[in-house]
Amino acid sequence: MKSKSEIVEVKALPFAAGFNWSTGFQMQRFIQELANRKILGAKCPECGYTYVPPRSRCGKCYTKIGEENLINLSGKGTLVGYTTAYVKLDGQGNFQDLEEPGIIGAIKLENADSTIFMPLEGIKPRDVTEGLKVEVQWREETKGELADIRCFKPT
Amino acid sequence: MRRNVAIIGCGQTKHSSKRRDVNLAEMVSEAVYNALEDAQVSPRDVDAFVVGNMQGFGGIAQPEQWLGDSIGAPGKSVIRIATGGTTGGSVGQGAYYTVASGLHDVAVAVAWEKHSDSKEAGATTGLLHVGLGNFFHAASYGLSLKNLVATSAVGAAAGVAVYQAMFYMYRSGCSIEHFDMVAAKARRNAAKNKYAHLQWPGCTQEDIAKTEMVVYPFRYGHICPASDGASAIVVAEENLARKKARQPAWFKGLAAYSDEENQLQSENFGGVGVLDPSEQKGCWMSATKAYEMAGIKDPKKEIDIAEVYQPFPSQELIFAERLGLFDEGTAWMALEKGETDIDGRMPLDPSGGVNATNAIGSTALQRILECALQIMGKAEEHQVPRKVHNAVAHGWGGVTSYITVTVLGDSPGR
Ligand SMILES: [Zn+2]
Repeated sequence: MKSKSEIVEVKALPFAAGFNWSTGFQMQRFIQELANRKILGAKCPECGYTYVPPRSRCGKCYTKIGEENLINLSGKGTLVGYTTAYVKLDGQGNFQDLEEPGIIGAIKLENADSTIFMPLEGIKPRDVTEGLKVEVQWREETKGELADIRCFKPT
Repeated sequence: MRRNVAIIGCGQTKHSSKRRDVNLAEMVSEAVYNALEDAQVSPRDVDAFVVGNMQGFGGIAQPEQWLGDSIGAPGKSVIRIATGGTTGGSVGQGAYYTVASGLHDVAVAVAWEKHSDSKEAGATTGLLHVGLGNFFHAASYGLSLKNLVATSAVGAAAGVAVYQAMFYMYRSGCSIEHFDMVAAKARRNAAKNKYAHLQWPGCTQEDIAKTEMVVYPFRYGHICPASDGASAIVVAEENLARKKARQPAWFKGLAAYSDEENQLQSENFGGVGVLDPSEQKGCWMSATKAYEMAGIKDPKKEIDIAEVYQPFPSQELIFAERLGLFDEGTAWMALEKGETDIDGRMPLDPSGGVNATNAIGSTALQRILECALQIMGKAEEHQVPRKVHNAVAHGWGGVTSYITVTVLGDSPGR
């Protein structure tokens, strides 16, 4: 048992830090276009590497990528990797069992080179394989928010 | 043996309260590509990046992981350095070490801050982060966190600098009017620097004196802004430096020392430590060591300009003395005579300095960058009207007593 003189406890911080990060012009367009059920990628004008979500400088060849290099992606893609989760965090630092296991997949959209990570629904974990063809599922009302993309499902 | 190293290119962003049009990575990339263009170096020619912003600021723990792709760093060596307000000074010195050691031939140093990504005004969010991180140990000296935040962290560096200013006023005999003069000079000089934040052409001592008292002895007009911005330098070994730059800015001497932290305004709860926060022995030690390395025997005669880290005007006077540019307690007399003006005998902060532009992580690198511009003759409107052979760049931070001093010159000096 520790005496009071041996410890200093900090239970709560006397302030709350808030942030409002600016997204940059490419991500701003990306988020706005989600309202129109469009997924934008950025195609490097020099080497052709296509990033989704878009960015403004190519990490491969250092070329600047402008708004004019944004392209529409179909929302269809291929599963290149995945995992199955059986628990979630309860917000208090503890694990909680999920009622149904959840699949999270790394998805390469058609005409894109980078991958995005999204929940995969409509398929049992034992049926999932790399190479599975998948398609975006929008939430009922799209508002121009990242949450507009609900999940992906097999085509 | 260490190699000769020079700055061959400089790049900055325009500094302002809010750069909402770009994200952090894009803002930092602007400075890097401006520097590469100035140096006429392709990103492919860069071997290493030394990067940094103030720890805890912007709420992103490892910003270098995010922005690497945006500054041409993939496949290159990247080191992030964070030493508080001195970060930029340490980043610049880090780039020097990288090249002087022979490990790499070309390095880019880039430093930044993006205050507008924090919700609270100015630098509050960041300072609370840093303040708490650094001051937690004080709790074990019996000070509750609530009191600590109220007395130390809020009011930011001002909370530290007011005591420092009071001690200096007492021992030097200068008055609050001298702080008005320094702040007015900073805003006037900044008006000639297209990258600076608080620009006020023709600002006078009287203009500053009219502003409200915030925390004695500082008026509103004395206090630096919280800026969004980034700065970058391209550092190269001797052969390339001579090939690429008509007048490279050579690193001649550098050092970084701290005296014991006086972070609780010198009220030191441990029973040891610095009593006078304006003493800043670390600056004297850094300057002595850097001049020795640079072969400078009399800085009063051999230094042509200084970029002093002065978020608060008192600090320009305090540190100019600690840098050996004026005798103890006399910098304010030189200020009165106009000796520290852009066309004076010993121009201090011809760029306007930190008092006019404060993107915290970047500020101490900007001091090095500004000295380089003066030596290279590229300072445009705020170029001092005579040939600059030697310039000294200073950084203040850590929490409140870590110092970087970097001496640049128009020849390698050895
Ligand atoms: Zn490319």
